[in-house]
Amino acid sequence: MVVTSAYLSGSVVESPVGILLTEAGDRRNAMTISFFSEVAHHPTTLWISVAQGRYSGELLDSSGRFTLVVLHAGQRELAWRCGTISGRDADKFSRLRTHRGPEDYLYLDDGIAGAACRVRSSRPAGEHILYIADIVGGEVETRNSLKRTLITRDLL
Amino acid sequence: MRRAAATIWDTKIQCVCSVVTAREGDDVELWMCGNFGQVSLGEPRIAVNPNRQYPIERAIRRERRFAIGVFSRAQRDLAIRLTRTRRRSPNKAAGIGMQLAQDEKHRIPYSPDCFRTLFCEAEDILDTGDHTLVIARVLETRVRQGWEKQRPLLYAEISGTPARYPRLNRALQWLVAASGAKERIQRYLEKRRGIRTVNLAANTYEDGGQTDAEIRLIESAGLRDTSRIIAPPERAPAVLRRRVPVCVVGVGQWGAFHCRLFRTADPRVELYICGRNRERAERLAAATGAKGVILGLERAVEDSRIEAVSLALPHHLHKEAAVLAAQAGKHTLVEKPIALALSDADAMIEAAREAGTILMVAEDMQYRPAIRAAAKMIDAGDVGEPLYLMAHGGGSMRPRGWKADPELMGGGILMDMGVHYVRAMRLLMGEPDDALATRAMQIDTKTLGEDSVQVLFRSHFGWQAHILLSWAGPHGHSPDVIVCGDRGVLHLWPARNYIDLYPAQQRLLPQLLSYVRPPWLAERLIKPEMQRVRRKVAGDDRQGYLTEVREFLAAVTEGREPASPAEDARRDLEIVLHSYESMRTGVWVKTAVEPSTLAQAL
Repeated sequence: MVVTSAYLSGSVVESPVGILLTEAGDRRNAMTISFFSEVAHHPTTLWISVAQGRYSGELLDSSGRFTLVVLHAGQRELAWRCGTISGRDADKFSRLRTHRGPEDYLYLDDGIAGAACRVRSSRPAGEHILYIADIVGGEVETRNSLKRTLITRDLL
Repeated sequence: MRRAAATIWDTKIQCVCSVVTAREGDDVELWMCGNFGQVSLGEPRIAVNPNRQYPIERAIRRERRFAIGVFSRAQRDLAIRLTRTRRRSPNKAAGIGMQLAQDEKHRIPYSPDCFRTLFCEAEDILDTGDHTLVIARVLETRVRQGWEKQRPLLYAEISGTPARYPRLNRALQWLVAASGAKERIQRYLEKRRGIRTVNLAANTYEDGGQTDAEIRLIESAGLRDTSRIIAPPERAPAVLRRRVPVCVVGVGQWGAFHCRLFRTADPRVELYICGRNRERAERLAAATGAKGVILGLERAVEDSRIEAVSLALPHHLHKEAAVLAAQAGKHTLVEKPIALALSDADAMIEAAREAGTILMVAEDMQYRPAIRAAAKMIDAGDVGEPLYLMAHGGGSMRPRGWKADPELMGGGILMDMGVHYVRAMRLLMGEPDDALATRAMQIDTKTLGEDSVQVLFRSHFGWQAHILLSWAGPHGHSPDVIVCGDRGVLHLWPARNYIDLYPAQQRLLPQLLSYVRPPWLAERLIKPEMQRVRRKVAGDDRQGYLTEVREFLAAVTEGREPASPAEDARRDLEIVLHSYESMRTGVWVKTAVEPSTLAQAL
């Protein structure tokens, strides 16, 4: 979700803010996202919702995999940086410090925690696409474990 | 330091805390939700994922309309109480003290105390495993006036076990994390144990996931336990508005006890003693400061100075005396059991109804402070789902006289004491479906009624109760009622002003001591008391006798029904009579409510 004033004013509820990391072939993107949550514990799944036509959605449809990294309150600037410009117009990824996890998924070096996901299904939801995905692995940054989650209100 | 996320909860994708509310028949179902989010912007939609083992899932499926009330940080305690509340409890809002309102525009119940409320209507309901994903249109968003700047409560702020000293706990956590001690310990443990592959999905399933077969197993005992239909009174009776002239009928040991209770309950009470033996009645009157003595019940009920009678008589006389008193327009407190037969109980209830008088049965369990506290703790989820109740009563006793004659007594210990513990079971667990009763060998052969009995009760809601009563010998120092649940065990002690909770989750001290080596030393150091949480029960009336008498007097002065109507005592008797039938036949006997005045009342 690109963080715009329209987006923030259209939010009906405060949500945690994360970064959606997607890659398909040699294309990569990082997008700020706040439309996500759990689906089930068995199977272990979550959902994300991405506006139709987004670059991240294109990469997602192509690769069927992504990483969702939850940000902490000190990463407001990063959320703005990845949420105000499209990946088609700028390489947002190159400025990020990332690494690969054991499942060969990309993770952000900082952040509170990340979930590596494989898309199970998708369906339109208004002007968005809702993706339901299996969580295949995850990572926790213990240094940030006591930090507060960044929420949409922090971006106002 | 980076480490692999072991479960879905480690990924921190949970969001702000909220209460989801939906109508469930005449009730409102609640659910503490940490997993919902916005799905679309133009026409706002949200997604929420109720767990299939929670009744809210069915309520949303059926009603399709629900509200999400977002908690503010100021509501942390309420959110924790909601998290801990019993999953199958039918009346969660009352149990945790949450205020609810009905929005007339959307016809959706909601919590007006939450700082933001989303009124929603389900658009798509997706079967997604052990949770159901509900995609709903947001009909309206409402922010509580003056609370616009409140910050929402985050799931991370309530997850885990609530600390006794949250600030100290947080400071210690920060110290451990900032000093790097946690990382060093984790590295050491990884080195020592070898790095193991973490399977997030398997761990999540193990900690909190269910297969379809497991959900069917959970559903088989019902998603809501509606077996409990009576409850202890919320509070002690109010201060008496006026003096009530009371005549205690019966000059035996229990009659004297009634006199003491009335005198303590209201020192100004105008007391009269009624008996057939003048000498004994006068002796009791002198000892209790009674105003007068009346010979014979017939005269007592006709005496215009008397407003109420308290019947401390042998069981077989209850019906005749209570009917006589009602016909004479006297309010009546009668000892338990209400009568020997259901038809007698019905006649007593009918006589009081026709006369417009109060008929109350002296059942102290209804007013015992520990029972009230235990019922509240069960509602609050302290023991999780109550699974077993074990009750143990009696002690060395050799009944003689009318108490040794089953014709006059109505049986043995089961009739005499069973009604108490049947009431305790009904107050704490609910109404049983079946009873199976059996008895040990008779020790006191001078008593014709049974001097020992065991009764097993079961409910299709998945709980069972075991009542063991014996006059054959002492039972030592033990609680008389134990309630076992999946999250803890409650011990209720007779005549004590405390109640003990043994939480299933190990407390800090025994947890630390379990690391002591060699193991035999740890075994010696760990005491069961270390796991105990002892809670004081308010008030000095440990058994509830005094409150029971105060309630009777308050009901008389206020002209209202007492907190425990006589129909409740009739139901106790009905269950006891079914237990006797089981003892005779040796098979399970249905304890369902018989069609009667009680059934209509319920």
